[in-house]
Amino acid sequence: MKTAFLCVAAGVAALLALPFLLSQGLLNAAVQMLIAALFATAYNLLCGQGGMLSFGHAAYFGVGAFATVHAMNAVGGAGLLPTPLLPVVGAVFGLLLGSIAGWFATQRTGTYFAMITLAIAELVHSLAPHLKGLFGGEAGVSSMRMPAWGFDFGSTTQVYYLTLGWALLCVALLYLYTRTPMGRLTFGLRENSHRLRFLGYNVHGLGTAVFAISAMFSGVAGGLQVMSNESANYVVFDPSLSAAVILNSYIGGVKMFLGPAFGAAIMTFFGYAVSDLTQSWLLYQGILFVLVMMFMPTGLAGLPGMVRRLVQRFGFAQVMPLVALSCGAALSLGAGGVFLVELLRRVFSQDYRAAIVAGNDWPAVTLLSRDWLPGSPITWLVPVALLAVGAALAWLARRRRAALEAAEAVDAAAPTALEADAIVKEGLA
Amino acid sequence: MTGPILSIRGLRKSFGATEIMRGVALDVHTGERHALIGPNGAGKSTLFHLLSGHLAPSAGEIRFDGRQIGGRSPQAINRLGLARSFQITNVFPGLTVFENIRLAVMRPYGLQYAFWKFIDHDRRIRRETERLLELVRLTARASTLAGEMAYSEQRSLEIAMTLASDPKLVLLDEPMAGMATEETQYTAQLVREVTQGRTLMIVEHDMDVVFSLSDRISVLVYGQVIATGSPDEIRNDDRVKEAYLGEEVSA
Repeated sequence: MKTAFLCVAAGVAALLALPFLLSQGLLNAAVQMLIAALFATAYNLLCGQGGMLSFGHAAYFGVGAFATVHAMNAVGGAGLLPTPLLPVVGAVFGLLLGSIAGWFATQRTGTYFAMITLAIAELVHSLAPHLKGLFGGEAGVSSMRMPAWGFDFGSTTQVYYLTLGWALLCVALLYLYTRTPMGRLTFGLRENSHRLRFLGYNVHGLGTAVFAISAMFSGVAGGLQVMSNESANYVVFDPSLSAAVILNSYIGGVKMFLGPAFGAAIMTFFGYAVSDLTQSWLLYQGILFVLVMMFMPTGLAGLPGMVRRLVQRFGFAQVMPLVALSCGAALSLGAGGVFLVELLRRVFSQDYRAAIVAGNDWPAVTLLSRDWLPGSPITWLVPVALLAVGAALAWLARRRRAALEAAEAVDAAAPTALEADAIVKEGLA
Repeated sequence: MTGPILSIRGLRKSFGATEIMRGVALDVHTGERHALIGPNGAGKSTLFHLLSGHLAPSAGEIRFDGRQIGGRSPQAINRLGLARSFQITNVFPGLTVFENIRLAVMRPYGLQYAFWKFIDHDRRIRRETERLLELVRLTARASTLAGEMAYSEQRSLEIAMTLASDPKLVLLDEPMAGMATEETQYTAQLVREVTQGRTLMIVEHDMDVVFSLSDRISVLVYGQVIATGSPDEIRNDDRVKEAYLGEEVSA
């Protein structure tokens, strides 16, 4: 408990210090990471804690975004709704739409629930381009952040602190929620809603309330994005946003409170860092998701716990080589995989196909500031060697783990010295 | 013993063309321990499902505490004071034992939508939860995940959750199934104690328990109650002997 508190305190301190450490571009990315983290945490209230897998959470994010942008234009950041308080409008409209959609969706559970959320999101998504007055058509709706409370919100730093304030407040509220009676019941909803009914609870009412609260905080996230971009476009209703929040939450780990926030922040950062370098970012995102689901069902946030349990079981000295081997395997396999994907993507690109002259050798492709000839075996040996090394390391790691487990089993079965002594004495008598 | 707390008249339930309940008539008196026995497939669990709101009757009347409850929702029936346990263990497997009981305890205190206060700060809830843990001998297992406990311990948990709402009428569906002899004895004694001042309706296959625990017994065969009476009357009833107990009584 104490370590967790210290970790959170250190994390908050680091977030507060970021504007002094980062360039403007990176700070902008940090704003997007905070928004994605808040959205994923709000989503996880429904998905991870309530056990309701929604496929259409972009709708509530988008409604929060448009509500906020219209509020920005309507009140101009003055009067009762100064600029820093504008995301409240996003929250209110997220809550409204969430209550209505949730009332319908939570009539059913499981697959049917997921399909209803998908249908509602698709409805909004296909309606939005036609309602030009409300959603602004192709151009979207734009606005300006007005000065308030002595801040002009003109610099990225001020926007960052505004976003950070809201994100921390909302995540803290969502955490405190888990400690309340209704928060505990949300877990009951995931575990066994049937039994809750026979304990006297109104399961439909509870499901609707959880859905609405999740949508409300999603609306805040949408509002924050509008404040940062100073515009909103119906693209926010795109199903890819609904998909991203699911992938991010599961990659981070839905069983831990901060897992989804962690996953969303990492994936947003990689999206920002990598999308300039490669066009295959979506492929990497998909591969990462599949790998996490296959080998780490508890998500990235579950990794420290996994290592801690191993250390408790086998001791620090035994586990560290295992961790080193696993990290080496992951790095090597990752490097080999990325190299291969990038090489193939370049060789199969249209520009490259057009540059090939029949009868000549294929020209070189540029990767990592070096030229690689597709006809040369060296070019293909590099990724194959990386993959082979990675596979070998992974195999060693597995073998080491099996050996540790076997040793433990032998230890448990072998008689202790005292027992052995007693057996010998018995034999003599 | 005053009038009946539960009164069933002409209760029918069919699934498609298959009729499971064929006109059940039964009275359960206030304060009595009433056992329901009968061969497999007689419809004992279906009757519990109808009483607790899990299924809606096709025809007939169920009056509980003066109110017609047939076809009402499970939560409405529970709030009127009728709580049940399940034949197949029905707990929250991924939550701790403490949390399981606490969820059951919260409801009578009206805490369904409470998001403005912390559950840990509520002393009444904690004390009541600890009392129930103690009662079913699960205090040592409070922080174990319910799904990781032995089957018989999950049965005890089931009983504690059923009692948490302080019900007037308790329906226990085979509470001792899968328990060892010592556990069965303890649980039978426990059921006797905790149903003091309540009405109990129990389905159980252990005949020693049934005959020593209950004030009256009803025999359900093929969707109809063929006899109701004191343990002695049931033991000596010819129709019951023929339908169900024959061999056991003669042996």
